[in-house]
Amino acid sequence: MATMVLTLDDKAAALGRVALFDGLERASLLPIADAATEVAFGDGDALVIQGQVGTGLFIVVSGAVRIVLSGEDVARLGPGDYLGELAVIDRQPRSASAFAVGDTTCLALASWDFFRRVDADPALAHALLRGLALRIRSLSEHHHH
Amino acid sequence: MADTEALIDELGGLALFADLPRPELAAVAHTFEEEWYADGQRILREGLSGTGFYVVLEGDVAVRITGEERARLHRGAFFGEGAILLGEPPGADVVAAGRVRVVNLAGPVFREFLMRHPDVMYRMLQEQTRRLRSANRWSR
Repeated sequence: MATMVLTLDDKAAALGRVALFDGLERASLLPIADAATEVAFGDGDALVIQGQVGTGLFIVVSGAVRIVLSGEDVARLGPGDYLGELAVIDRQPRSASAFAVGDTTCLALASWDFFRRVDADPALAHALLRGLALRIRSLSEHHHH
Repeated sequence: MADTEALIDELGGLALFADLPRPELAAVAHTFEEEWYADGQRILREGLSGTGFYVVLEGDVAVRITGEERARLHRGAFFGEGAILLGEPPGADVVAAGRVRVVNLAGPVFREFLMRHPDVMYRMLQEQTRRLRSANRWSR
């Protein structure tokens, strides 16, 4: 499996492309980049399993991830997409499973590292609030169409 | 004019502002405007610009998307934050169901308010998470 080795700058740049962190300054991104761990998955590897308690947020850097809800494929994520943001906030079980499609590299952020940053940086909490608002809105729109 | 001390007590009893120290609650009470709406009056209009962040103090409000009721919000619930955060017009009509009392913050000062009160932001994050979970869908 090809392994990427991301520098701090690479990680910060990857985070800067994620909608969840849209509008954040480099000064807010660097500490998150520093706390983020690069994780490589092979084809079919599980990132998270529905029903298990999650401890982190994943950001797809390369490759793809399929989201499976009760046995049914419901979404496919690519570079710049993320998952696990709800579990990070409420520490409830994962609402869906996620599996790598082909060789996939992600940045993983542990809940506690992420929340230490959110506590220290209101701009990050604000970005997160916006990211969730975007998802709430897309839900009500999908509902409608 | 409602007694400010009473409003501070009232705000402190809402989940959104729970655990805030009294001086911070006083700041919230001074920043927000109190408003009353009559039954059937629209507080937010779907698709129309002009936004605000609202917290329900008394009464119920109905959330309607293209005329269809999607949710009913009660005391302590908040709405209007999505449009401000996303810089878009409101995604729903919010209509008073009976007489309603709210506190309201204008869109432009909302971000500044949140940045000064991270605890409130954290409460909002928890509530958003709850809403997304209860939708029980995956959508992107």
